[in-house]
Amino acid sequence: MSVLKIPSPLRPYAGGAAQMQVTSNTVSGALEELVAAHPQLQPHLFTESGELRAFVNLFVNDENVRDLRGPDTALKPEDSLMILPSIAGGTPLQKVDHAALRTNQAFIIGLSITAYVANAPWLAGLIGLAMVLGTILKVPAFGFVYRHWLREWLKPEVLADNAEPHRFAQGFGAAVELAGFALLAADASFAGWALIWLVIFLAALNLFAGFCAGCMVYYWLNRLHVPGFVKSSPDGTFPGLKPKAG
Amino acid sequence: MRLQIPIDLLNQIRAHGEAAYPEEGAGFLLGREEGESRRLILILAAENSREDGARRNRYLLPPEELRRAEEAAQSLGLDLLGVFHSHPDHPAQPSEFDREWALPCFSYLITSVQGGKAAGSRSWRLSDDRIKFAEEKILAETEILETRSQK
Repeated sequence: MSVLKIPSPLRPYAGGAAQMQVTSNTVSGALEELVAAHPQLQPHLFTESGELRAFVNLFVNDENVRDLRGPDTALKPEDSLMILPSIAGGTPLQKVDHAALRTNQAFIIGLSITAYVANAPWLAGLIGLAMVLGTILKVPAFGFVYRHWLREWLKPEVLADNAEPHRFAQGFGAAVELAGFALLAADASFAGWALIWLVIFLAALNLFAGFCAGCMVYYWLNRLHVPGFVKSSPDGTFPGLKPKAG
Repeated sequence: MRLQIPIDLLNQIRAHGEAAYPEEGAGFLLGREEGESRRLILILAAENSREDGARRNRYLLPPEELRRAEEAAQSLGLDLLGVFHSHPDHPAQPSEFDREWALPCFSYLITSVQGGKAAGSRSWRLSDDRIKFAEEKILAETEILETRSQK
């Protein structure tokens, strides 16, 4: 029989035992034995969908099973299996409604294309100014359309996320849009519309692929310790990608 | 549910949070279980093992650290009561991330550090069903002495 060692914070759910004998010849089998003997441990070791919780680490003779064969790692009678959690936590993320962000992106795309088709640089300038105003007020420039008229039809998508990178992305987009307007005003038509189309492309990348290039730049600057860029990307999320729900 | 803390230990925990600012600082709480009450006797400051850039809003104490803390508690004849950590520029309330990663039975002592100065400390325990944290009262040592003298 192998020995299964239980860490102190879980012992109250195992009748105070620091260890128990298991007969199974795999790690997953030993865990099943443990939970069968002490069902109260189940929610602390496994998620509702039956997966091992992220903080649970399993060691067979001091070797993490992640470096072996995971839950299928074999257990010999002389082996000891140790449950050793990682301790983690941190400050909360904000709630960011991505439906408002998507509305903003859709309006930036639609109005910028309209400006190009109608050959109306003034409209590109107005879009840029609206984005500057939104950045200063810390809201999506066209988020008011969502808040006042689209909320009934558009399902909110509130995710745990950082608002600052999205603000930075909008501010960056505003700078490019206004630079495009300035070039158009200076009769540099090709370069001006190229910048407007860059904004359209980046907003579309965000709207349709869920990738915020400006946010990625923000998180890079955070990693480089640039002052003012204090937020890191949500856990398990590639910098710039939309965080997963839940 | 209450956590009795000698005032100098509470000051050490607050100073640890201030020293770690703007990143999160963390460590272990060692002491004795006394029924529903817990008495803090020693703290073990630990290094925040989260990657560079993430330490401003996350802390991680790897399994080896927990093992060391358990061994230290055992050798000193103490109980491992829980963990302390700081929330830079945030209230001393557990986050959703804290809840997801919380271990049952542990006391989670959180110190809010606002602009580099420790603002307040509160302690929490996870409910058995993992749904929420319940606050446990912190009793600094001066208060404990006052309580005793009233008896």
